[in-house]
Amino acid sequence: MTPLTIESVADDHRIAKLAALAITLHLAEAVLPSPLPGVKPGIANIVTLYALYRYGFGTAVWVSLLRVFAVSLLFGNFLSPTFVLSLTGALLSLGVLWLTQNLSSRFFSCVSVSILAAFAHIAGQLLIVWLWLIPHSGILYLVPVFSAAALLFGTLNGLITAKLLATR
Amino acid sequence: MPIRLKAGDWLIFLLGLGMVIWLFTALWSNEPAGKVRIRSGDKIYATLSLDQQRTLEVPGALGISRIVIYNGQVRFEQSPCRNQYCVHQGWLHKAGQVAVCLPNHVSLELLGNKSYDSLNY
Amino acid sequence: MRLVRYTLWALLFCLAGCSREPLYQSQSYVFGTLVDISIYGETDARAQQVAGHIQQEFQRLHDNLHAWKPGGELYHLNTAFAAGQSTTVSPEVANILQQATLVSQRSDGLFNPAIGGLIGLWGFQRDEFTPVSPDPKQITALVKANPSMTDLVIAGPTVSSRNPAVKLDLGGYAKGYALDLAADYLRQQKIKNALINIGGNIIAIGQHGSHPWHVGIQHPRHAGAMATLDLPDGWAIGTSGDYQRYFELNGKRYCHIIDPRTGFPAEGVQAVTVLIPPQEHAGALSDADSKPLFISGSEHWREAAQKLGLQYAMLIDKNGAIQLTPGMRQRIRLETSDAH
Repeated sequence: MTPLTIESVADDHRIAKLAALAITLHLAEAVLPSPLPGVKPGIANIVTLYALYRYGFGTAVWVSLLRVFAVSLLFGNFLSPTFVLSLTGALLSLGVLWLTQNLSSRFFSCVSVSILAAFAHIAGQLLIVWLWLIPHSGILYLVPVFSAAALLFGTLNGLITAKLLATR
Repeated sequence: MPIRLKAGDWLIFLLGLGMVIWLFTALWSNEPAGKVRIRSGDKIYATLSLDQQRTLEVPGALGISRIVIYNGQVRFEQSPCRNQYCVHQGWLHKAGQVAVCLPNHVSLELLGNKSYDSLNY
Repeated sequence: MRLVRYTLWALLFCLAGCSREPLYQSQSYVFGTLVDISIYGETDARAQQVAGHIQQEFQRLHDNLHAWKPGGELYHLNTAFAAGQSTTVSPEVANILQQATLVSQRSDGLFNPAIGGLIGLWGFQRDEFTPVSPDPKQITALVKANPSMTDLVIAGPTVSSRNPAVKLDLGGYAKGYALDLAADYLRQQKIKNALINIGGNIIAIGQHGSHPWHVGIQHPRHAGAMATLDLPDGWAIGTSGDYQRYFELNGKRYCHIIDPRTGFPAEGVQAVTVLIPPQEHAGALSDADSKPLFISGSEHWREAAQKLGLQYAMLIDKNGAIQLTPGMRQRIRLETSDAH
């Protein structure tokens, strides 16, 4: 019997490196306290966004989902509500990335994409919270706050990504 | 190297900003949460904030009236009266609105800035 | 140190200010309906005392004037009338009958407390209503029998009826009478400011502090107020509507206000509100006078109002359109804006 070998390709290496970077950033950010639960700069998303522009949608998907799963395993909350929230946010923002990847780069840079993805991310998370976790009308008071955070950090992350892409 | 922001970026940003501002004005309007006063007979049974989700069983002269608070509104869901006028009043959401189950001696009144002292009907 | 002192003073002022809310409010179920008594400017103990007395009086009246439950004078009267006999009544009831007869005559019989037979036939002499379909022959017979307040013979305490079809039902009068009674009692007790609401019928004494009492008028089809107006000292307001006591049969609404001319529930009107300026029997008039207008309908209510000397009245027809007398238009503030 021939031993089973898994051959890794250059792509895999790249994805692995990027995913590792995203995970690290996520963990580093998790250490910092946030003023409000759920409001985080999400700097790991810079990696996803960078990957999208540099290597394509497929890579971005891998990086994003690997990060979500790995982090939840590392933190020990796989399949918990936290994981579901994280996954939902990731899936929805990936959806937006897919939709916007063909946006004319003449008019839109990655900053736009970042902002849109950020809004999609929090929208998905708020929806899960509303429908499943805390169906309380008090949630409405959080929506503006989260949206402001999405706008702010979406813009910032987008600018950072643009800088990184420009200096490559 | 400086980053070049494109026209579309500004558009998206401004739209996002508009949305955030709108959300704040729409959802953070400074109206205090309304309250409902539930009476059974001549006693005040409870005074509750409408900012919660709750079902109450209020005992009255005939039996239990079921009151539901949801989404800033309140109503009689079930009552032991025959004509069910109280249930037909539907959801109350504005200060001053009243629903009464006369046979069961249970009443709901939304407190707040109602513009009158008593209601003629 | 100064800060502490100021804070303490501020606290003291606050405490003084909210030590006693001068408005006392009680809600109770007497008189077969919701009774709201508001008293302003008295101690809680005093307010509770007078309110309690009023509630007891109301219950006594309710039992005594009950149209279909035995035990009271009215039931006793009706039994006597049906048997063609005479009986004696208390001065209070004799007075009520005389006053009610006057109102009935002034309204050309549209306000008719003698048609208890018809009211019972339509199932409204019960605590809750189910749809009924009375025999048309019975209706015609009762209409033909023409029971009227003028059939009563009141000689001192003795009352008899020339017409055995007379069956008294003071449902359209008793609450108003009770308002007058309560108002007189409160004035006697030197209560300067109060608002009494019996099943929607309201009379005002004094003011709510520095401004007149303010009342809302219920929308016939929604839960809130459709209009508001001031109710100055001594004024009374009453509404007859098709939305409090009614049943629906085959998609049609049958309300408890019976037209004595046809024997059928009045149609075409959702509500009538009358406002009575200060006078003796203001409360009773605010109750009784809305009926003839309701029955007269959206075409003839103004004539009926004139005949009764009513300056302030409002009618809401079956489509929800609002009609106002000029006097009422001056005093009322509508929440909506489709008045004629």
